[in-house]
Amino acid sequence: MRKDLDEFRKQKLVIGSIVAMPLVLGVVMPLVLFVPIITMAPLGDVWDVEGLQQIGTFQGSSLDPWTNQTIENTSLQSQTIQYAILHNVAAENCVFFSCIIDNSEVSFTTIQESVCTGAYLENVTMVHCEGSQLDGRNILAIDSNVTFSKTKASEAQQVIPMMLNMVLMIFIIVPATLPTIIASYSIVGEKNNRSLEPLLATPTSDGELLAGKIFSSFIPSMGATLLAFLLGIIFLDILFIPHVGYAPLPTLTWLLCIFLIAPTACIMSVLACVIISSKVSDVRAAQQVGGFVVMPVVALMLAVISGFIFLSPLMIFVVAALYGLLDIGLFYFARAIFSRDSILEKWT
Amino acid sequence: MIVCENLQKRFGPTLAITGLTLQIPDGQIFGLLGPNGAGKTTTMRILSCLIRPTSGKASVDEYDITNESHRQKIRAMIGLLPEVPGLYETLGAYKNLDYYAQFYGVPKQKREDNIKATLTNLDLWDRRHEPVGNFSKGMKQKIAIARALVHDPQYIFLDEPTASLDPEASKTVRDYILELKKRGNTILINTHNLAEAERICDTVALVKNKLVKVGNPKQLARGLFARTISITLQHIPESLLKNITSLTSVSGARVDGRQLILNVNNPEEDNPLVIDWLMKQGLQVQFVSEAEHSLEDVYLKLIGEDERP
Repeated sequence: MRKDLDEFRKQKLVIGSIVAMPLVLGVVMPLVLFVPIITMAPLGDVWDVEGLQQIGTFQGSSLDPWTNQTIENTSLQSQTIQYAILHNVAAENCVFFSCIIDNSEVSFTTIQESVCTGAYLENVTMVHCEGSQLDGRNILAIDSNVTFSKTKASEAQQVIPMMLNMVLMIFIIVPATLPTIIASYSIVGEKNNRSLEPLLATPTSDGELLAGKIFSSFIPSMGATLLAFLLGIIFLDILFIPHVGYAPLPTLTWLLCIFLIAPTACIMSVLACVIISSKVSDVRAAQQVGGFVVMPVVALMLAVISGFIFLSPLMIFVVAALYGLLDIGLFYFARAIFSRDSILEKWT
Repeated sequence: MIVCENLQKRFGPTLAITGLTLQIPDGQIFGLLGPNGAGKTTTMRILSCLIRPTSGKASVDEYDITNESHRQKIRAMIGLLPEVPGLYETLGAYKNLDYYAQFYGVPKQKREDNIKATLTNLDLWDRRHEPVGNFSKGMKQKIAIARALVHDPQYIFLDEPTASLDPEASKTVRDYILELKKRGNTILINTHNLAEAERICDTVALVKNKLVKVGNPKQLARGLFARTISITLQHIPESLLKNITSLTSVSGARVDGRQLILNVNNPEEDNPLVIDWLMKQGLQVQFVSEAEHSLEDVYLKLIGEDERP
């Protein structure tokens, strides 16, 4: 392994690409993407409720609906209710007149001369109403005084988590991609230089040789990834702190991903390269075929970015366990291939 | 001692070597000779525990090459120079050797001493830190030889050790091989260089996918060819060739310039008779020597015979 690392240190071009790739993808690119978003759409400003239209001004100081009944903990469908207190109700296609609506969900309904608190309103028309601590969408408020406690997130707030997820996925893809460069050199390069034969003539066991090859690809790949991860976190925090007032990174998700998923993805890639090396005798071919190795990681990235998978800590453990199982399977397969007889008879 | 018994190796339908039975005593330089594809490298790889034989047995220092627990011990006892040097071109000569010494578990101080001694013997100590990629073919070959010796192996297997070396470097390597023999090492050499094999090998085995002949180079020649004497005369009359064959001790004769080349059964007894006869013919004898057949003659005869249907 030390020999491979020492030899690898001499390959300045390869080292350059290995260090540059995570830095560009994990540091430079996110900064280039985030800076305009942060500066153009400040994080502090929130937008109105989606689809809210307010017409006219509220007449009178306050409403005082007269009520003679209380309806609570029920669902209402296509009903006209008046002079009632509605508490914890789910209503649809109704008309409410002179009611007090509290802690309820109301949709496709007209509310008139009423007071609403803590309600979720969707496709609702409010005429001459008062309301506070509301939430919802597609609301037409005519001559009403309504305030919303929950508002639609700003575009930046919506986009940033998705982009942070994408950056996080880069830190998974990079350690899976880098070994295709390093392992190709350390194994196929050794085939091309015909340096495998003297190496195999040493008393080193097949398992030790395989482990050496795995770690000599794993260490630089993960090293470069962790360096980029650290720099990425520092620069993104520097960018975010003035806007949000605290350092948002690293989150638990980020830490779990980089210490669980990234290493398992990296080992998966290294082992796949070892297996590919048994079939090809050219570094370029190994790198090209090695491109397919990142497919399981690309699949994870697409699933996360599209929202198909939410990267909760439990999900990270599940994905890491799956990759780990795949690693074990690949290790035994590589171990079977990486034997002296087959290497000399078939590899060279 | 290295022992092979009926060793066979197949690569799919191709038979690389079959029925190879031979013994290599300790302390000998043993040459494996044969044309390309004769199974020399395959034999060396089998004995180095790099590949397994299809059938047959072999042992190195009484360790069985087919026994998994013995194979690692055998590899530790052998220093192998493969057909292609296969060095780490970006690393210096010293590092190339140092890593290999570590693979063999040589302690640090001994590593340093061994590397210094070997590189000094091969005239490469001053260039030990230069990347070997910058070296000439011959220098790379020398480093590959040094690599095979860096752990003080008892058995040294050299596949074409002087290939691609200039005459001076070849001599350095040959002298070094003879020096290793003096130290008690057993050396197995694969070579096409028959003159070199004749010069340094105690025993040679001619192989062509099977064992054709094994023995000391001189004994092989004597077993194959009649003994020949070469007599240089001041001048050779035309009738001489016809008359001299009438002598019972001469079984054949030819003329090469002023040299009369005679096949005789027993030079020790026949030479005085022949010289006496020539002097009686009024001819002046200038030199008499025994013309020995080279290993090349042996090789061409045996391998040529083997090729004929």
